[in-house]
Amino acid sequence: MIAIDPSVIGAKNTDLADLTTQQTALEIRHLNLHYGDKQTLFDVSMKIPKNQVTAFIGPSGCGKSTLLRCINRMNDLVDDCNIDGEVLLHGHNIYQKQVDVAALRRTVGMVFQRPNPFPKSIYENVVYGLRLQGINNRRELNDAAERSLREAALWNEVKDRLHDSALGLSGGQQQRLVIARAIAIEPEVLLLDEPTSALDPISTLIIEELITELKQHFTVVIVTHNMQQAARVSDQTAFMYMGQLIEYADTDTLFTMPAKRQTEDYITGRYG
Amino acid sequence: MVTRYLVKTGNRELVGLDFRWILATNIRSRIEPKDIAIIERSKNGFFYGFPVAVVENGQRLPTTDKQQLAQQLAANISRVSTLVDEAKSLQKHDIGNINYQLEQLRLDERADKLNGSLTSAKQHAYLAQTEALQQSYKILEQALFELRAQASRDSIVMLDMSGKEVSLKLNTVLDLTYPNQLNWLQKLAQWGSGLAKFVVDDPREANTEGGVFPAIFGTVFMVMLMAVIVMPFGVVAAIYLHEYASKGPITKIIRIAVINLAGVPSIVYGVFGLGFFVYMVGGSIDNLFYPEALPTPTFGSPGVLWSALTLAILTLPVVIVSTEEGLSRIPSSIRQGSLALGATKAETLWRIVLPMASPAIMTGLILAVARAAGEVAPLMLVGVVKLAPTLPVDLNFPFVHLERKFMHLGFHIYDVGFQSPNVEAARPLVYATSFLLVTVIVALNLTAIGIRNHLREKYRALES
Repeated sequence: MIAIDPSVIGAKNTDLADLTTQQTALEIRHLNLHYGDKQTLFDVSMKIPKNQVTAFIGPSGCGKSTLLRCINRMNDLVDDCNIDGEVLLHGHNIYQKQVDVAALRRTVGMVFQRPNPFPKSIYENVVYGLRLQGINNRRELNDAAERSLREAALWNEVKDRLHDSALGLSGGQQQRLVIARAIAIEPEVLLLDEPTSALDPISTLIIEELITELKQHFTVVIVTHNMQQAARVSDQTAFMYMGQLIEYADTDTLFTMPAKRQTEDYITGRYG
Repeated sequence: MVTRYLVKTGNRELVGLDFRWILATNIRSRIEPKDIAIIERSKNGFFYGFPVAVVENGQRLPTTDKQQLAQQLAANISRVSTLVDEAKSLQKHDIGNINYQLEQLRLDERADKLNGSLTSAKQHAYLAQTEALQQSYKILEQALFELRAQASRDSIVMLDMSGKEVSLKLNTVLDLTYPNQLNWLQKLAQWGSGLAKFVVDDPREANTEGGVFPAIFGTVFMVMLMAVIVMPFGVVAAIYLHEYASKGPITKIIRIAVINLAGVPSIVYGVFGLGFFVYMVGGSIDNLFYPEALPTPTFGSPGVLWSALTLAILTLPVVIVSTEEGLSRIPSSIRQGSLALGATKAETLWRIVLPMASPAIMTGLILAVARAAGEVAPLMLVGVVKLAPTLPVDLNFPFVHLERKFMHLGFHIYDVGFQSPNVEAARPLVYATSFLLVTVIVALNLTAIGIRNHLREKYRALES
């Protein structure tokens, strides 16, 4: 488990650019991204603080999901995707040649828009990442499974049917299972790509509560379509538009006193 | 309109025909004599006639009535058939085993001679072993002759259609029944035992009589061997093409070439197998590993391994195409889920993608088996024979003999139906064997389909 620095939790970062290295989980520097000839991200720079929830908002196609996928190099899977700029994790650029991508993704976990459990049992889904690391000790796996399922607020619902197929769960349960699976390998950063967009309001509520819990142990970065959601769960919010980072501030400030005109237009619903 | 009847006649030594056409208008009367018997013989097919007496050591046994005669017959036939079976098993297993050991010994000695390590001590040891084996061979041979002599003691006197008495040696009699005395239950039992004989017996008389067991065994064994060979190659090729190969023109050409392989006439595969596998690969294996047996080829002649390999190439495209299809149907979200947990591409393939694609792989295997089990033409060049004296699997070390030739149901049909000396007599066998071949293919397919459905249930993918 990651040690929590009390000075970090709940600290209001009025000026996010002035975060110390210790307080920063991730730093993005002058990131440009092209899909073939088309540029999708324009010179994005930001610092994401540790053990807080950072939300990316913006209209469809603004590049917020693309930016998120840059943080654990999921864009590597896309053909003719070119990235220049830096993403610093522990002060090292993750786009350097010698970086082990699999190890990076163990440190930076990700949950996708649609629940994507593997066609295995609930238990095997949760311990999948651990088995990849060569852990086969029954006790260790059982402990990790229970701990992650409890953290994902799913334990009570599935504890009696851990060895049933994960595909028999409801959508909301599946999404929490996927979160449990991601936190079972104890990443430092958890990326959530519109985690509630495919879910009903009650499941959404459960997951939002879960996100607030999760930030005690993880740095959470969430992409969302839903501005109320961003306002409810996040500590700071980044507004993106047309591949550019327009405004990045702590959530209260951004929603009450946006500094840019475009931000104000978006949050008041004039476009998007 | 005149009705014609096709009548089976039997008694081949008296009348050459097994079947003849008789016009209904020429039939004056029909009778069903109660005490007529059918004798199934190991030579010359069936004999129809009335039993008269049992002869032991040239002496007719006294008989008072037909009941007693039937009992005598049953007792003597069962005695003789026990003896005949004993003799057969002695010849096939014990003597066959000694012959095999003698041959191995000869090859070992020659191998030592070839690489110059044949010392005089070794030579003496070989000689002693050979002598010991020959000694036990002689003892067994003696026992065999004795059994045969005992079996040929008895004979049976029959009255044939023309009223002449005919004497038949009991050691050629396999079975005697009184068909007109059977009730329906006994008829059913008779039919069942005939079916069992067809399935488990070896063929007799140039394949026109007896069973087809070696052909069933050969077909199933060869198909399974083929499946074991084609699966890894096909799956690995499909994974490479679908997951690793760059999407350039070369990959495209390879893929088109693979698909077109399915359209090549199967006899061409036979020619390829003969040239490449049998002569080139097999010849090289013989030169490298079995020089002591040369000029008799070991792997350098058609055999079950080369047949399986040839059919594996023939069915490779089917496995590749359906595996690729299965791979492309797996949602990318699942792959990404695995990659996002720190799995490498290979780990994702092994742990997630391949299990999920396994139903599609099984579909490929089903199609491959269906095609391979019915293929005959290429096999005629690379390993199938009319009569294989031994099965590819037996009790002599190393138990599985992949270099041996084998029998195949498909070729058996062709051989019995068109190449046998007595095509007429073999006609029922052609129909029965065809039906059996279809049954075997259906059984193989049902097994594979069962496995596939189980896998499908297990790896039911997300409905999205």
